[in-house]
Amino acid sequence: MEPTRQGAVAARDDLVIRVEEVTKAFQTPDRGHMVALENISLNIPYGEFITIVGPSGCGKSTLLKLIAGLTPISGGRILYQGEEVQELNTKVGYVPQESKLFPWLTLEENVAFGLDSKRYSREERERQLKHFIALAGLSGFEKYYPAQLSGGMSKRASIIRALAYEPPVILMDEPFGPLDAQTRMVLQDELLKIWEQKRQTILFVTHDLVEAVALADRVVVMTHRPARVKDVIEVPMKRPRNIFEIHRQEGFDEAYGRLWNIFRHELNIGTH
Amino acid sequence: MTIEAPTTDRTIAAERSGFISKRRVWIVLLRVAIVGGFFLLWQIASQRWIDAFLISSPSRIVISMIAGFRSGELIQHCWVTLQEIAIGFPAGVILGIGLGYAFGRSRLLAEIFEPIIIALNGIPRTALAPLFIVWLGIGIWSKVGVVFLLTFFLNFFNTYAGMRQLDQEYVDLARLMGARGWRLTFRVILPAISPYVFTGIRTSIPFAVIGAIVGEFVAATEGVGFFIRQAAGLFRTADVFVGIIVLMFMVIAMDKIAELIERRALQWQAQSEHITIQG
Repeated sequence: MEPTRQGAVAARDDLVIRVEEVTKAFQTPDRGHMVALENISLNIPYGEFITIVGPSGCGKSTLLKLIAGLTPISGGRILYQGEEVQELNTKVGYVPQESKLFPWLTLEENVAFGLDSKRYSREERERQLKHFIALAGLSGFEKYYPAQLSGGMSKRASIIRALAYEPPVILMDEPFGPLDAQTRMVLQDELLKIWEQKRQTILFVTHDLVEAVALADRVVVMTHRPARVKDVIEVPMKRPRNIFEIHRQEGFDEAYGRLWNIFRHELNIGTH
Repeated sequence: MTIEAPTTDRTIAAERSGFISKRRVWIVLLRVAIVGGFFLLWQIASQRWIDAFLISSPSRIVISMIAGFRSGELIQHCWVTLQEIAIGFPAGVILGIGLGYAFGRSRLLAEIFEPIIIALNGIPRTALAPLFIVWLGIGIWSKVGVVFLLTFFLNFFNTYAGMRQLDQEYVDLARLMGARGWRLTFRVILPAISPYVFTGIRTSIPFAVIGAIVGEFVAATEGVGFFIRQAAGLFRTADVFVGIIVLMFMVIAMDKIAELIERRALQWQAQSEHITIQG
């Protein structure tokens, strides 16, 4: 903020999210409160693909909820495009663990849901819809209800529902968790392809280390509860990446090895 | 998977045309036989074993019904009862759903009023019918009041139950995507709880009719309930049965209409059973 540090200010403007020493505590029914997140700081520039890994139940999802403004922060602050997140942050897209398509709306209506609340002209809306539905390979299923779609299709629909209204940041909470290995790989591949085109910022929570490395520019490793940021690993792999042969890609082994080394200690704590 | 699909389709089709359809014919035939047998037994009993003065008979009931409709008397009574229901029932449904929704949305409202509503629900509401006569007179409005009361609570409790079951993640997602106010209510929350809402509506239909009849039993000069009570007072048992049958058809007709609306509104649920796409 000081006028003499012009460079720093400019760099700061490139950040879409600044998480500053954020703490989150929950009320427990019996013993006062439980600290889920402790002193989390994270800077996220525009267009970066960030994955967040950590032991299960460590509060990864909570961090996403805080950025989305779905739960109040206990301490610290989160700046989103320079503004503090204090209420619901309608400038993010959210892809939950389960697809959570609205079962009473058709696929098309689901994908259009975010468009309808924003100022899109009818032509733009149609174009956007068509484009994203085609991108996800769901053309021809526009009038289907979610219950008629397979798990993979629902997942694709859930992702393009968040992408369609073009929020600058997409928060993804273990979106591929419950899928089988093949479907997951196909979807990872599709996600990367879509992302190559749009280059929105993505925060992607996962418990799968391979997935974390394969997708990310940076991997954030979180500790066991209370969760802190243990380390942030750069993944210098080239893009576009080939998900199906990610192991052969230059830089994968090295990044994965480093991640595993850090993560191993966290697992040990969990098994005691 | 895809290779298996046609064969299973064919076996099902084969079963449909042969075994299943034969079975269905039998079921329908048996049903007709049971109902027909019952009426036949009734007719015979009224002629041989029990005084027709007490139990009437199918033939007398049919004759009474035709006479009643011909003279226009029965139609007038039906019309009055239908009016009472047509005002009291929708009012009870809308207010019940509205309040159930409001309680679900506002913790404060729910915390203050929930025990009160539960206590009020403990009152046998038909017992309030005489009070309504005192307050609203013997015209249709006292019956509208009873119909409303019976309808309201059922719709309120079902909607409120739906609101408590509501998956908050749907609401959060919709709000993140910018939905607020009316859009959030009518596009997200009400559809999400609509199975509960429709259960409330459909269970309240017979109660709406009960409300009108009880009101008319207590004090009235018109209406099917009045018609039944009057007929019983004059020992015209055939007319009593005519009234009961008319009420039965009233309930069935209302339920069919509600079912039709429900099926359209809950299309997304019904369709899910038919086809699932692999891939």
